[in-house]
Amino acid sequence: MAIAEDRRRLTHRLTVLRVAIGVAFVMLACGFWFFQVVEHAQFKEMAENNHQRTLTLRAPRGIIYDRTGKLLVENRNSFNISIVREHTKDLDRTIRVLARVAEVEEKIVREIVDRHRREPSYRPIVVLPDATLAQVAAVTARRLDFELPDVIVQEVPTRQYPDQDMAAHLIGYVGEASEDQMQSDGVTTGSIVGQFGVERVYNKLLMGEDGAKRVVVNSVGREMRTLEEVPPQQGRRVQLTVNYAMQKAAEDAFRAYAYNGSAVVLEPKTGEVLVLTSMPAFDPNDFATGIDRATWNALNTDKLRPLQNRAIQGRYQPGSTFKIVVATAALEEGLITPERTVYCPGGATFYGRFFKCHLAGGHGNVDLRHAIEKSCNTYFYTVGNMLGVDKMYKWSEKLGLALKSGVDLPNEVESIVPSTEWKHKKYNERWYPGETISVAIGQGQLSVTPMSMAVMISTVANGGTRVVPRLVKAYDEGKGWVPVTPPPSPFAPFLMKPETVAAVRDGLWLAVNGQGTAGRGRVAGRDVAGKTGTAQVISNQGKERARGKTDQDLRDHGWFVFMVPKDNPEIAGAVFAEHAEHGYFSATVAKHIIETYFAQRDGLPLPVLTPPPPPAATPVRVAAVTGPGGTD
Amino acid sequence: MFERRLYHHIDWILIGAVLAICAISLAMIYSTTGGASRVYTTQVYALGLGLIAMAIALSVDYRSLADKSHWIYLAMMILLVGVLFFGSVRGGSRRWIDLGFFNLQPSEFAKTVLALTLAKMLGEERRPALTNNDLFIAASLTAVPFLIIARQPDLGTAVTLLPILLVVAYVAGMPMKYIYAMMIVAVLAAPVAYKFALQDYQRERISTFLDPAQDPKGAGYQQIQARITVGSGGTWGKGFMQGTQGQLRFLPVAHNDFIFSVLAEEQGLIGVLVALGLYFFVIMRALDAARLAKDRLGAYLVLGVLSSFTFQVIYNITMSAGLAPVKGLTLPLMSYGGSSMIATLASFGLILNVRMRRFTN
Repeated sequence: MAIAEDRRRLTHRLTVLRVAIGVAFVMLACGFWFFQVVEHAQFKEMAENNHQRTLTLRAPRGIIYDRTGKLLVENRNSFNISIVREHTKDLDRTIRVLARVAEVEEKIVREIVDRHRREPSYRPIVVLPDATLAQVAAVTARRLDFELPDVIVQEVPTRQYPDQDMAAHLIGYVGEASEDQMQSDGVTTGSIVGQFGVERVYNKLLMGEDGAKRVVVNSVGREMRTLEEVPPQQGRRVQLTVNYAMQKAAEDAFRAYAYNGSAVVLEPKTGEVLVLTSMPAFDPNDFATGIDRATWNALNTDKLRPLQNRAIQGRYQPGSTFKIVVATAALEEGLITPERTVYCPGGATFYGRFFKCHLAGGHGNVDLRHAIEKSCNTYFYTVGNMLGVDKMYKWSEKLGLALKSGVDLPNEVESIVPSTEWKHKKYNERWYPGETISVAIGQGQLSVTPMSMAVMISTVANGGTRVVPRLVKAYDEGKGWVPVTPPPSPFAPFLMKPETVAAVRDGLWLAVNGQGTAGRGRVAGRDVAGKTGTAQVISNQGKERARGKTDQDLRDHGWFVFMVPKDNPEIAGAVFAEHAEHGYFSATVAKHIIETYFAQRDGLPLPVLTPPPPPAATPVRVAAVTGPGGTD
Repeated sequence: MFERRLYHHIDWILIGAVLAICAISLAMIYSTTGGASRVYTTQVYALGLGLIAMAIALSVDYRSLADKSHWIYLAMMILLVGVLFFGSVRGGSRRWIDLGFFNLQPSEFAKTVLALTLAKMLGEERRPALTNNDLFIAASLTAVPFLIIARQPDLGTAVTLLPILLVVAYVAGMPMKYIYAMMIVAVLAAPVAYKFALQDYQRERISTFLDPAQDPKGAGYQQIQARITVGSGGTWGKGFMQGTQGQLRFLPVAHNDFIFSVLAEEQGLIGVLVALGLYFFVIMRALDAARLAKDRLGAYLVLGVLSSFTFQVIYNITMSAGLAPVKGLTLPLMSYGGSSMIATLASFGLILNVRMRRFTN
């Protein structure tokens, strides 16, 4: 009986066990069904994220040439060493080991990693851009030992500027896209985009399209095989309008005489920019792999402001070069004929005040041509007074001296030529006729960029018809060079009267080739026509206060604007030299540019810069007060 | 010793199901270790040795084996203590005896030995119900190997001894009130044990189980990866050797603790259901052997070895789906592990033994 009961209990309890096990198995089956069927899509994606990586293959940017086919910007391969935190067990250790192996400061690596901490962990953080071969070798060896499995070495195309700082402000530089640029350019973080100059303006053309490689990686991040690869598309080749030889000539000349400043030379008929320089410059190579803080700070705190593009961002008084505008305006408005003479006794009185001419004894009777040649202030006081400030403004704008030139570079500033309306708006004051007299010789509140000056002289060279300066001549989308057709000019075309053109050209020719102030710009047989000008750095009153001081920074700036050859100008431009006191030095720079242009055009050997005279031993003393109108 | 007619009573169906699981095991180990690796060949040899062990275990009458159970038990305990002193260390614990060609893990065999000992002790009693004294002795017999193995430390394997005691005591007539009492104590003691009895890493495993995302790189990693592995397999699986989670080592010890996850990944829900079905069939079929057993000794012996087997199967598969805290518990018959394979096949030999001799005297 005991046995039977025993048996019954066993059977009963066995049944309980069976049911319990059955329930457990059914629940397991349900669990697997839930994960593998219901939630399959989600887990499938997670598994793919686990083992598939999309690596960006950076597209090389387009090569940039000058108008003669000379290479200006190319690419080289550099190595970036990056940390991929995704598989990192101990980020601290990785940073420590990497810093030791690559022989860099741990602190720097840590700072970079901290800066990118919030980015997704699969995105590589570039800690050593442009690593040396020794660093690459050291890291690669540790990687194979699994000591640094989360560190990768990537080969990336990097911008290379073979001529360093030449045309730096024109060409610009590249850098990592900012938040705003990611939006506007439609790029992702870490993308390299143009930040300045042509690199920025034509970024879309130059950038190309990054490729992508989808790879399978294992749990320590090692690439196992490639699933798919879209090769990168290199950016478009771009040909600039700039002329390498002329650009170099301009910069060599500035450097040889140790002056800073700017030169802009245009082809007047087309507006193509042949030379655009701003001195001092910077080396865009410093930016190519990410500029280090020290260099950046140095560039930003430099008193000479090497990052400023003086050609379009520097504003200076035009001085006597403004007389070209006054002459043109008076002739076109029909107020005078070129034969009109004015007697210069060494100055004249207007509105109860005596305005001096720079030549104390006076020029005597001068007509327009000779007034330009000799830069006679009295003549232009008189003509300017006839015109009034608003007519002078009107022609400044027409010729392209006022406002912006519209060149395809970012951050151009407006050139300022005063008018009654301008003064009212700015100071809420009325215009005093006496002010007009100063403006007529380019003093007072005029403030123009070298670029505007180049446009003005080009318009005069064209005999009307203002062009918009432009930098790109052609680009290549893979099917050969396609010339860029300039957009229609937004300025109403106009023609100057032939006698106006002839008279102004003659005056400018005389200034260079006659008894004028611009003799240093003379090039034998080339009929250079031009005009110097002096931009006052401080007012005459200021000079009074600064009397006796020997600071070079108080010296006046010098201008030279020119067109050549006189009768059918092929090139026209403006050279501006800081603290050069007169336009003589600027004319010297222009002469070298002009000689280079013709030598290259005629297939002759390029001119060699004559060695500069020894620099003055002591800075020149600030000139004594000469009263208003102390221009050359 | 081995009568000819017994041959006809061998449960070939059970053997077939067990071998089917072993075949799946070899295929999955082949897949996760990338071909005919050393791990794979070791497993093939272990399977051969296991089949020999099974043949031996079924040819000796389980009753004469049970008669010597106290000696076997004693020998086992000496072996376990010996491991503590002379065993080889791997992964921070001392579980193995290095035999040169093979690393023997005595704790795997301790389960079978304990089942035999408890079956003998509780099954030979002529009283209709268990006394407290019986229970105390049974518990003590379990506690000795439990504590030794836990010292190695190998808490996972030690815990698999407990189902043996529980199930054998349960079918031997342990009063229900004890069972209820144990349940209450377990519920009440869990938080206390969590706080005081567990090591830091064990606590971490449990807390990350409850919320794997709190530490996706560390302790929660395996669990998250296990779920991804299983879930990404889908209905039909990624195909033999096509799994990415196991193949690319996102899931650690794929050929060992997580072999079922890899099966789920590569063979999908279909493969899972087939494997679950096979295990369920094996367990039910073995339970039949307990029901059919000629005596209590046989029934208890079957249930003893089966309880530890079943516990491990259910726990490991639950863990494979990321539904249980990660413990170093392998899946019997499927995970890589020579000692486990041999011990498990030997214990199935005992089950076959009991069923085969149900008509003998």
